[in-house]
Amino acid sequence: MDWVAVALTEDVPPGVVIPSRIEDTDLAIWCTPSGRYHAWSDRCPHRGMRLSHGFVRGETLACIYHGWQYNETGSCDYIPAHPKLTPPDTICVPTYTCAEEGGVIWVSLTDTDRPLPALGGRTPVRSLPVNMSAADLAAHFGATTFTTIAVVSDVDVLLAVQPCTGGTCMVHALAAAEADRSSVSHWLENLRATLEGVPA
Amino acid sequence: MILYDYVLSASCYKVRLMAALLGTPLTLRAVNFHPGREHKSPEMLALNPKGTLPILQDGDTVLTDSADILRHLTADHPEWQSSDDDRWLDFASDLNDSLGLARLHDVIGYAADIDTARAAGVTALRKLEAHLTEQRFEGLIFLTGKTPTIADIACFPNTALAPDGGVSLDPYPSIRLWMRAIRSLPGFIEMPGIHRLHELAHPA
Repeated sequence: MDWVAVALTEDVPPGVVIPSRIEDTDLAIWCTPSGRYHAWSDRCPHRGMRLSHGFVRGETLACIYHGWQYNETGSCDYIPAHPKLTPPDTICVPTYTCAEEGGVIWVSLTDTDRPLPALGGRTPVRSLPVNMSAADLAAHFGATTFTTIAVVSDVDVLLAVQPCTGGTCMVHALAAAEADRSSVSHWLENLRATLEGVPA
Repeated sequence: MILYDYVLSASCYKVRLMAALLGTPLTLRAVNFHPGREHKSPEMLALNPKGTLPILQDGDTVLTDSADILRHLTADHPEWQSSDDDRWLDFASDLNDSLGLARLHDVIGYAADIDTARAAGVTALRKLEAHLTEQRFEGLIFLTGKTPTIADIACFPNTALAPDGGVSLDPYPSIRLWMRAIRSLPGFIEMPGIHRLHELAHPA
């Protein structure tokens, strides 16, 4: 499977966990206090609570429900109700391949040796949801893949598209470093209105 | 000051939160809004003929509009007010009429055209996200500037409670960071559905 952009790094500062998804796979994306990103299945192995409701404590992600703490490999390190117990190795969260490049957090649901997408020196502007499938959005621009779509219009923009559930997607937009981000943001709002067929 | 209060009301929470952030003591009078409909009782209608909550009683002054109450509470705290507040207090009404209505429909069975309410809620969240994103481009996190004002306090509760009405907040990164900034404020208090920042209360 190819890389998928799941968030911009400036939207996931150190010590923060957010919910995300690739199609039907729910993800918890989190950043350690020292700045490393991880993409995990968004379910605590204990009772199935969404880990994206949890919180980062030290270099671990803790579940909001019973406080079970998972280290950066996804293994459970600590169970508050049994403080003297060393949790067995079998208690672990499924993890996915995750990398940061160009201010974008990229995830592959399977092991991959593909290079990360080239961004042409562009920098992130913003992410926004669009009520259109990633495949239809790519087709709109005549692109064969939605991983990244280069758009040359009034502005030079690269769209990294994240397929979500229910025929929707998140568009992570990048533009030249010298571009006016506010103008690009307005352009994106108008693009969304056009794609969705409703006024912005 | 006496606040006639319902713990699950987003508008009552605006008042409790503002007072907590200011350090202003409030005497809370719990009103059985649901299922008792006590806000429509003769005693409450005598105080507020509109039959709504919240009601703030400060001496002879009785205020029944949450925006008016926020202005009243911050009358001696100009740092909590901005010239841009009015448009955001109006916007907070839009949030209440869309996301707030969807939540009351889902949580306590209010009559509503739920699809219309949710769609209007998404439209409002998109406007909020666009504005907060522009603010972040300028290095600002709050609605009107570097520091929070009554605009933020008015818009925060119905936004944060959107999932209770079946509207996801997942796709709005700037709203998420804005809510995080509000939840980080000294004196922040919770309500059911809006929890404090765990990691700040118990640092590793």
